[in-house]
Amino acid sequence: MLKLSFRYDQTSARLEVDGLPDISLGHSEETIGIISSWTLQLVGSPELSGKRVHLESMMAAVLPYARHRLSGVKRAFGDEHQPVSISPNESGHKLLLRSSQKGVKPLTVHLDDAELTDLVRCLDALRLDIRVKVSWQIPSYRPLHHKDIADRVPFARRFTAALIGISAFVSVAAIGLLIPIPEGSDLSPIEARLTMPTRKL
Amino acid sequence: MDMTQASKTKRAILGRRACERLDLLLLVIEALDLNSSEAMLFTSHKLGFQALFPNRVELWKRRCYNPLRKTTRRGNLSEVDAEALIKLLCSMADRLYPVLRQLLSKKEPKALNDERWNLFGTRLNELIQERMNLRRGAVQRLLSKEDMNSFHYELIFTLALAAGPGGVDRLRASLLDPFS
Repeated sequence: MLKLSFRYDQTSARLEVDGLPDISLGHSEETIGIISSWTLQLVGSPELSGKRVHLESMMAAVLPYARHRLSGVKRAFGDEHQPVSISPNESGHKLLLRSSQKGVKPLTVHLDDAELTDLVRCLDALRLDIRVKVSWQIPSYRPLHHKDIADRVPFARRFTAALIGISAFVSVAAIGLLIPIPEGSDLSPIEARLTMPTRKL
Repeated sequence: MDMTQASKTKRAILGRRACERLDLLLLVIEALDLNSSEAMLFTSHKLGFQALFPNRVELWKRRCYNPLRKTTRRGNLSEVDAEALIKLLCSMADRLYPVLRQLLSKKEPKALNDERWNLFGTRLNELIQERMNLRRGAVQRLLSKEDMNSFHYELIFTLALAAGPGGVDRLRASLLDPFS
């Protein structure tokens, strides 16, 4: 059986995936169903390589990071137990890769925004490639929660509607309190008005 | 549920701010590509939206759901129209990706890139003045932002992350954020 190799190129990134069709699932000879290895070349950084689990970890960190960044939220993805994590820094983005081999120090790659978008496009191309029939365990893109973007939205914009509502209610209540109740009457103001004699013109 | 499945099931009506943002991003495309009005129509036909946008007027009418425009339409952009506009935007961003990348790259010569940013900023402001209702406070804020450069940078970065078929789901999810 021939080993298949697919390549995804961008200006500063090249992702190459090697694998085989999963015959048990009835894949054709031109389909990758089992990923055996992959390599990622980022301009100005050492070549990265690994197994499927590492690639999946990279996708699980980088793609949600890009999704959050699109909403203006800068937060890290991937913790110290994951092979790959990404976080924002002063110059752009810091990609941290931890080797599963003992004694190998984590590798840090600094990316600017253009390099990040190149990497995201490579991962997107792999994810959407119909020739690669792999079920990626990546969280789906969803709208963010209020708490995620609360810091990004100005205080005034967050509470404008509530403030207008409360102030309108208070104003109406204050005006209502200013209307005097007719003296010497047991009737409520509304009843008193209803019983007032009408003047004919 | 993986991302591909999610894209097929998720569709929703965009809020007012999301319509504003979508139209503003299309305006950014116009600022980057002088021939974009023709290119948008051509791309929409290529994407199979000929029935939705048979001509430029129909495309313009959908964009008029942006309440900041001089000529606006009441109501909400329908789900089908919103999805078509998102896909059109991502496709146009994909087409212009080399330009977006050039603007974002820190490895480009700084003086040259500064000129590119200036040119882009001028064109975008001119388009905003031409198309938007200048009496609206939100439009005035768009034109008088103190941190105009970072605002323009965010718009270009947004387009770069939304470029291509992979960007459609990301952009849609982002437009459906609360406060959008």
